[in-house]
Amino acid sequence: MLIPRRVKHRKQHHPGRSGAAKGGTTLAFGDYGIQALTPAYVTNRQIESARIAMTRYIKRGGKVWINIYPDRPLTKKPAETRMGSGKGSPEWWIANVKPGRIMFELSGVPEETAREAMRLAMHKLPMKTRFVTREGGDI
Amino acid sequence: MSSTNKLVAEERTQFGKGAARKIRRDHKIPAVMYGHGAKPIHITLPGHDAMMALKHANALLTITLGDEEHMALAKDVQRDPIKPVIEHVDLVIVRKGEKVTVDVPVHIEGEAAPETVVTTDSNTLQLEVEATNIPESLTVSVEGLEAGTQILAGAVELPAGATLVTDAEALVVNITAMISQEALDAEMAEAEAEAGIEHEESDADAEATAAAEGEGVAAADEA
Repeated sequence: MLIPRRVKHRKQHHPGRSGAAKGGTTLAFGDYGIQALTPAYVTNRQIESARIAMTRYIKRGGKVWINIYPDRPLTKKPAETRMGSGKGSPEWWIANVKPGRIMFELSGVPEETAREAMRLAMHKLPMKTRFVTREGGDI
Repeated sequence: MSSTNKLVAEERTQFGKGAARKIRRDHKIPAVMYGHGAKPIHITLPGHDAMMALKHANALLTITLGDEEHMALAKDVQRDPIKPVIEHVDLVIVRKGEKVTVDVPVHIEGEAAPETVVTTDSNTLQLEVEATNIPESLTVSVEGLEAGTQILAGAVELPAGATLVTDAEALVVNITAMISQEALDAEMAEAEAEAGIEHEESDADAEATAAAEGEGVAAADEA
């Protein structure tokens, strides 16, 4: 699972969720991709789960790229705790994804296979997404 | 070869984001045209026609502006990341017979040998070609190629009159061996264990388990 090896600060403020992606909005490596249409915090578990779903479907053919990295910690206070007494402990690692961002890319498989593999992966993600192709496709 | 598309443009007199947004509301595209040391010309392009013309990579456009006609290439196209909208176009003026440097997409053709994965490392190659003779794409055949084969930029067949600008040693297509089933299964099992993914027992698996248990019980009774 993706997790930062070393961080400067253990606890951070919540990342901002407004606006659209400033970069990474076009396919850079593969021929097919999953593009985010709404903002969301994507945890490292969700990223891994989507990758596994895709890799399981394409079996031994094709190559998968993950273009997002969960580098922001989110904290949580324990249940039934009174407010105060400082910030909670780090609970999740998340990638702050904004609309337009290409999160996963795929190549080396026919389009129908890529569509189905990415459809399975999309179900593991916490936001609205769409399938995009290098040739224009759904965009 | 690139297609020629005729677009009738209007000169722009108002600038800034307010004016640009007003142009976009009228289904037009703000654009700028420059090149050959001339002053930049700010223009407005018809939205739908420009979008259709810019669907092809390196399309050569003929821009009619009043009585003048300019040949231009799209140097930069700003698109909305989500909506299918072109926000702005940078056009560079070219002349007949002039050589220009453009990025031409690479198209893979054919099927490589079984048990291989074909990966395109460079999706475009930079070429120096005549502005009126830009190829739409470069075709690379991978028919029957074995794992371990690498196609470099220098080995790609170019159209007549084109010169390669990209480094000839740049990797274009890489053909690698497929991961073995055992290695994939092991990797998947490890990844699923780490992510805490559990598979539900399917009906077939449950029947197989029940049958195995039944056989075990029968064998014990006989003994």
